[in-house]
Amino acid sequence: MEKVTIETMRAMMRLAGFEWSDAELEALRPLVETNLRLLDRLEAASPRTIDPSTQYRLF
Amino acid sequence: MTELGWTSVADLARLIGTKQVSPVEVVRACLDRITALDGTLRTFITVCAEPALQAAHAALARVLAGETLGPLDGVPIGLKDLFDTAGVRTTAGSRILADRVPGTDATVVTRLTGAGAIVLGKLNMHEFAYGPLGRNAHYGDTVNPWDAGRPRVPGGSSSGSGAAVAAGLVPAALGSDTGGSIRMPASLCGVTGLKPTYGRVSRAGVLPLAWTMDHVGPMARTAEDCALLLGAMAGYDPGDASTSVLPVPDYARALSGSIAGVRVGVLRQGFLDASAADVAAGVEAAARMLQSLGAKTDDAAIEQMEHVPAAAFAIVASEALAYHAGWLKSRPADYQPDVRERLQAAAFVTGAQYVRAQQTRALIRDAVDEALRHRDLLLAPATPITAPALDETHADIRGERVSVTAAMIRLTRPFNLSGHPVCAVPCGFTAEGLPIGMQIIGRPFDEVTVLRVADAYQRATDWHRRRPPLAS
Repeated sequence: MEKVTIETMRAMMRLAGFEWSDAELEALRPLVETNLRLLDRLEAASPRTIDPSTQYRLF
Repeated sequence: MTELGWTSVADLARLIGTKQVSPVEVVRACLDRITALDGTLRTFITVCAEPALQAAHAALARVLAGETLGPLDGVPIGLKDLFDTAGVRTTAGSRILADRVPGTDATVVTRLTGAGAIVLGKLNMHEFAYGPLGRNAHYGDTVNPWDAGRPRVPGGSSSGSGAAVAAGLVPAALGSDTGGSIRMPASLCGVTGLKPTYGRVSRAGVLPLAWTMDHVGPMARTAEDCALLLGAMAGYDPGDASTSVLPVPDYARALSGSIAGVRVGVLRQGFLDASAADVAAGVEAAARMLQSLGAKTDDAAIEQMEHVPAAAFAIVASEALAYHAGWLKSRPADYQPDVRERLQAAAFVTGAQYVRAQQTRALIRDAVDEALRHRDLLLAPATPITAPALDETHADIRGERVSVTAAMIRLTRPFNLSGHPVCAVPCGFTAEGLPIGMQIIGRPFDEVTVLRVADAYQRATDWHRRRPPLAS
């Protein structure tokens, strides 16, 4: 995974409608990088064709 | 202070029904204990003293008139402060909702009060249920009544529920569980907590953290009490589309005390071997106890465990942000820092990643089903560590330095993803006197077997009867 830059975070944040300072984004960056590394592993974990399970089976 | 604060729900209901104890006396005993102890423990956000006493007098009138009583008639309960209560503020432990007063009760509150239970008050919690430690910057941190010489976290997010039951302030409480928020405080505070199967209990009128992961359940001192409360709470609710139409068994009647032949898989890989040595020893001893009671035990494992943190993070963060986005834009400073940071981090999860997490979730659910294919139950620690001190941020687990926050939810959240029923039960104490908790995990909608084994274990042990030092 490439390093997450403040510019990337700023763009994503604005797309989502938030206005956070660069200082806040810088403080968040380690957490975001950790989370994205975790999420990258899911790409390999599950077949693309499997049905998403949004909730437990219902009876 | 009287022994009524330590009397079980089952015994209170029996004593009230046979006119040996007045429900007014019971409510007053709980209120006295709250007055004496809650300045230190900070388990309640709102105490409903007058309405509770009025309800107790009404229950007494029913008893004296010889009316048919509900199964919980005259028994006081506490509610985590995210269950809607008509006319009583419901804050979710937040500043943002500090003045929110719902017009109607949550479905489970209606059902419990319909069974005769009396709402004693609203209990402290991690803000918006988004944290495993039970910290609260707005209403004060709940303190674990088991302190071993240092103030300790009670576990969250249902921190007030766990600590209030442990301290004998109320015989039972409701919690909610999105990543372990019933089972973690149950484990750290030495009480019993049940996360039912997803769909067994209505979430209507319960403020959400993550809709597809949220579960609602009882916390009490015994499995029998959890069975009584579950029986009153469970069942289909048109107000919650996720609830099942399966009939509700008589959970309390199913507690036969016999577990002969029950097949229990002990989860070692990723559970016992990921826990502190004294926690693992407590659960191993419990497995041997179950064996001596007639259960058949073997080693079990759950595949896909390595994907649990990522899947759980993407789902909970995305759903929580969907609920909180408006306030995060308009009132960011009103969140406590750790909750605000978790919500902000959620903004960097994409829709495709959320769906991929839900796909992975299906694999995790199947893996838990597979572990239960030839077994009735699984056994595991509830938390890999016992209650950390309030100022501890990291713990040592078998030589590995881990964040307390990350460690706390490691063993509980697989079953929020899978939806299986789990009962957290006290199973020992460390040398320094802190409770150890274990999880009894069952097949979907088989709370009967989960509770039957938990109850049989409690008939043979006394861990759940011990009283914490800060509650005397």
